[in-house]
Amino acid sequence: MSLIDTPMLHLLGRFLDVSVFRHSLIASNMANIDTPGYRTQDLNFRSEMQRATGDFEYASFSPAVRKVEGLIERPDGNNVSLERESLLLAETQLRFQQGVQLLRAEFRRLSNAINEGK
Amino acid sequence: MNLFAMLEVSGSALGAERQRAEVVVSNMANAETARTPEGGPYRRRLVVFRTQRMPQFSMLLAGLQPGSAQGVHVDQVLADRSPAVRRYQPGHPDADPQGYVAYPAVNPVEEMTDLLGAVRSYELNAAAVAASKAMIQQSLDILR
Repeated sequence: MSLIDTPMLHLLGRFLDVSVFRHSLIASNMANIDTPGYRTQDLNFRSEMQRATGDFEYASFSPAVRKVEGLIERPDGNNVSLERESLLLAETQLRFQQGVQLLRAEFRRLSNAINEGK
Repeated sequence: MNLFAMLEVSGSALGAERQRAEVVVSNMANAETARTPEGGPYRRRLVVFRTQRMPQFSMLLAGLQPGSAQGVHVDQVLADRSPAVRRYQPGHPDADPQGYVAYPAVNPVEEMTDLLGAVRSYELNAAAVAASKAMIQQSLDILR
């Protein structure tokens, strides 16, 4: 690990990756809100985050997608909930923003150190 | 993983919902059409949605395994099988020997409900596009 590649940057990068992946699943659920037989997909953020930050070859990382249980199914076999997806979309967006802001703060900190605090 | 791939997923839904709205509007416009090129009254049409694997290239860029993020497309446009509504209009040129004219079985309430559903789903996906756009913008801000 070089001086610039701090553990914080490493962690935040993974955090953004998992957030983006989750966002893609939410977008997919929203796109298929009227598709007969479509089942809501999601991932377990905590366990995927633990996996992503674990010690392994990251290039081959692909989060485990699971079907969400316990949602009300409509007669056409589709169980996408508009409220659930809307809330998750807002949450994921804010989480992503949080990650980006922390990342920028970390870069500012590094730049500050390089410029000797000037 | 790529944020731009998500725009494609939401975009496919926008297209599909727009097509659904078009079919509904066409049903409403032709609610009283008794004559068509195929003969007989207009047949009410319905769209069938189906999940769609997004193009391979963007999937590769996005690092997604097939079958996770899926778009949607209009798989089929089917004709409604319900029988035509017969109205007694003996003077009408399209009347049968008994004096009845066949009109499409279009229920305006049903169509309006479907149209509202399509518009709401469109809005939902437009919100998803806005969210993706905001996230792309934010990640570009890291560079500044």
